Amino acid sequence: MPMEREIVLDVRGVHHWFGPTLVLYDVNLRIIRGEIVALVGPSGCGKSTLLRAIIGTHPPEKGEIVMIERDRSHSVVRSPGRDRGIVYQNYSLFPFLTARENVAMGLMLDQTSIPYRMFRYGRWRRMRREHLREAGDLLDRLMLGHAADQYPSEMSGGMRQRVAIAQTMIMKPRLMMLDEPFGALDEATREDLQRMLLTLYQENCRARQEGQCPPYTIMIVTHELNEAIYVGDRVVGLSQYWDWRKEGLERSPGATIVYDRVAPVYFPDQERNFETFIEKRRVIREAAFDAQHLQDRNEYLQFWSQLDHGLGEGILA
Amino acid sequence: MKMYKYIVGLLALICMSAVIWTVPVDAEDYPDFSLAWSEYPSWSTFGVAAELKWILPGKGDLGELEKKWKVDIVLKEADYDSCLVMYGANQCDAVCITNMDVLNPSLARQSVGILPTSTSFGADALIVSGAISDIKQLRGKKVYGLAKTVSEYCFARNLELLGEKEKDFFFTNMDPAAAAMAMQQKRDGYDAIVVWNPFVLETVNKRSDARILFDSTTIPGEIIDMVVVAQASLDKPGGDAFAHAVIDAYYAINRRMDNPETRDDTLIGLGEKFSNLNLESMRKVVKQTRFYATPDEGIAILSGGKTEDIMKTVGGFCLTHEIVPEAPRIAFGSKADHPNAHFRLDSTYIRNFVNAAK
Amino acid sequence: MLKQTISRRNGLLLGLLSVILLLALYSTLSWRQHRKNPEDTTIPGWSQLATGVIKSVEPNSRSGERWILVDSRATAGRLFLGLFYGVAGAVLIGLLMGCFPVAEALLAPPMSLLAKVPPTAALAVFFVLVGTDTSMFVAMIAFGVLPTLAQSVYLAVRDVRQEMLFKAYTLGASSGELIWNVIIPIIMPRLIDAIRLQIGPAMVFLIAAEMVVGDVGFGYRIRLQSRLLNMSVVYPYLAVLAAFGFMMDFILRHIQKKCFAWYSKQR
Repeated sequence: MPMEREIVLDVRGVHHWFGPTLVLYDVNLRIIRGEIVALVGPSGCGKSTLLRAIIGTHPPEKGEIVMIERDRSHSVVRSPGRDRGIVYQNYSLFPFLTARENVAMGLMLDQTSIPYRMFRYGRWRRMRREHLREAGDLLDRLMLGHAADQYPSEMSGGMRQRVAIAQTMIMKPRLMMLDEPFGALDEATREDLQRMLLTLYQENCRARQEGQCPPYTIMIVTHELNEAIYVGDRVVGLSQYWDWRKEGLERSPGATIVYDRVAPVYFPDQERNFETFIEKRRVIREAAFDAQHLQDRNEYLQFWSQLDHGLGEGILA
Repeated sequence: MKMYKYIVGLLALICMSAVIWTVPVDAEDYPDFSLAWSEYPSWSTFGVAAELKWILPGKGDLGELEKKWKVDIVLKEADYDSCLVMYGANQCDAVCITNMDVLNPSLARQSVGILPTSTSFGADALIVSGAISDIKQLRGKKVYGLAKTVSEYCFARNLELLGEKEKDFFFTNMDPAAAAMAMQQKRDGYDAIVVWNPFVLETVNKRSDARILFDSTTIPGEIIDMVVVAQASLDKPGGDAFAHAVIDAYYAINRRMDNPETRDDTLIGLGEKFSNLNLESMRKVVKQTRFYATPDEGIAILSGGKTEDIMKTVGGFCLTHEIVPEAPRIAFGSKADHPNAHFRLDSTYIRNFVNAAK
Repeated sequence: MLKQTISRRNGLLLGLLSVILLLALYSTLSWRQHRKNPEDTTIPGWSQLATGVIKSVEPNSRSGERWILVDSRATAGRLFLGLFYGVAGAVLIGLLMGCFPVAEALLAPPMSLLAKVPPTAALAVFFVLVGTDTSMFVAMIAFGVLPTLAQSVYLAVRDVRQEMLFKAYTLGASSGELIWNVIIPIIMPRLIDAIRLQIGPAMVFLIAAEMVVGDVGFGYRIRLQSRLLNMSVVYPYLAVLAAFGFMMDFILRHIQKKCFAWYSKQR
């Protein structure tokens, strides 16, 4: 019996302009709880714009972005909130805090306020100890216990990104967004971190088998197609290369979703084989990266019908 | 070793600069002497002499008077404090200075007063706000002025004449320009200042209720402005000629002030940099700074008599107020008579100048 | 080759050498001056300097005060108070400018103009605004260092990456917490750098003001003793000033290293 699919994020007809220029055109995207969605697209297509819109620092000018809570209550995104976490390629960590303090930062900001910390100092100190312990436990789980008291500048790039992910995870956000998180890392470190994401995915699958809610919903923006296919259970392509004339438009309206299909699911201990990705990469390139080949924007959007046909794996099975 | 190279290089550089520093680049026909002066009515005469091209300030530039006396006079204009330091540091041969301020440098550098230029006759004054009408009201209060200068001297001497004790009053250090400003702004607590011109005139002009409680007219001839030359410089070849040229310039300007045709022009010249006072006020300034305009007056001052008592009073004041660490030996007359005097007032140079002119 | 490194030992040696050379140069200068005039007090020899030091340390015969003590107390008090107000104001204004575009538009032009004005030249304004007591020195220092410091703070705030701010918002920060818990900690070490650079100007402003107004303090003593040609008192005073500035610099650097270890590790 397939469990009811819980939608976390609903992007509805989002348009965004930069001055007179349209960047995003009618973007629609729904994300299911427990997924790892890999978002790909040519550089400059508007991935970052979409991400900012979802974070809430730059809400869309037309359409809406809706977060759907456990109790099915809807809230339209207008500003950043603690239900959406973000990991950037750089500058996610506060340079003046150790790894442990960085991870505990969210708990502090979320659970207390400046007056609270000032006027209920004793209680706050006790709370702080608890926060730091919790942060330390999480770092231990992510094999970072030894670096808990180091400053970001003392850590390697890979360690920094792990801490940044931990910093986001501890908030238990409804949706975690990773913006080109491994772009600056060397190949081996990147693979380690990809495996780490798959470990989280494995936890999701296990939770689902036990009839519980999968804890992590992740959207990862990447320019590496192999990474997208390997880490994601679903790949979404955002691109400006689609046949807009067919919709009666006179000039290019910007990027929209042109590819949305399930992707093979790997677990961390599984050996990956990039040769099996070749065909998938070819299709994604054709759909999203080929400026010559403009197709109907719905041509490669099979995700939801694939789910109906039972083609989803992992959390989508 | 690399270190060795650096040190050698550094030493070479130092040697080179030392050579450049010590080799004189000096090749003049006439001996040169420098005179440091600051803007003050009777000292600005040298500025006017420069404007008239009698004395060209630069080294190697010769004006009419310089050619006449076969001496190259270098004029160095600076503010008064700098002139004192310049003279004390042997950086000039002669300086325009008061009979009080000369005592301290003379301890380290034998000095000769060759030309008294003027005396303060109202140019230093205690100015009070309208609320004060009697000196007794100032007891226990602060009186602002530049400490250890003629301002403090004028204040202390007047107290003495009035039968007051100095320790009943708090003479508090403040630059005269700043004190005048505070007074004009009617700041609280600034009810009494001791300043010199142009601040005396400016303050009285600009603050209607301000008035002069006493000034230096009560101690005429005690504060003497003069030209002082180092003994060592006078001993150099051309030293006498330098003294004569300076004396010549001073009395020549005074004659221009006497002459109705050139009087106003000269006054304006004197007042130009001194302050932004108009011609009318400048006339007053010249009255309050009484010029020793003729050689006879100058000779009278330098010959002792009343001046001898004055110098004793001034020297005593300087000693009790720690302006000088020890009492300087003050003498009147020639070097031959008083070879060990620290500060000597000598009328010989004016006399010789007068004789030469005859 | 340019910028070739030398060993630490040689570096220290060269540093020492330069100090020795400086002292030697002074000795030569003093010797030359005394050969010209044995009574000279303007470039005092070492023994003259010693008597000058004794004079400023011993109780004065008339007032009974130890000059160096009363002057240090007055000058240091004015300096610290002035720096305190200047820094506090600069942080406030810099933060406002960095965080709020309205404040930026309003305050950036006057700050960059005022940063170029030496407060000592506007003495009359300070007289009218704050009088001539300690408050005048304090205000002069504060206004002297404030514009430059405020600009430094403003630039430091502007350099805080947007990503970091977004990040803090997603962690549930309020705008107040963003300033208090993110921006202020990030700019603190740079603020200390900026303060270190402003101590010099602050001392210049203070000494210049003390030379004109005031009957106690370093500026007063230096001007008075210069006029009396007691350079044997003046130069030790200058040495104390230099030592004080050096010490302040050292302390601030130490604070930066201890309290903001992350910053020194970053470089």
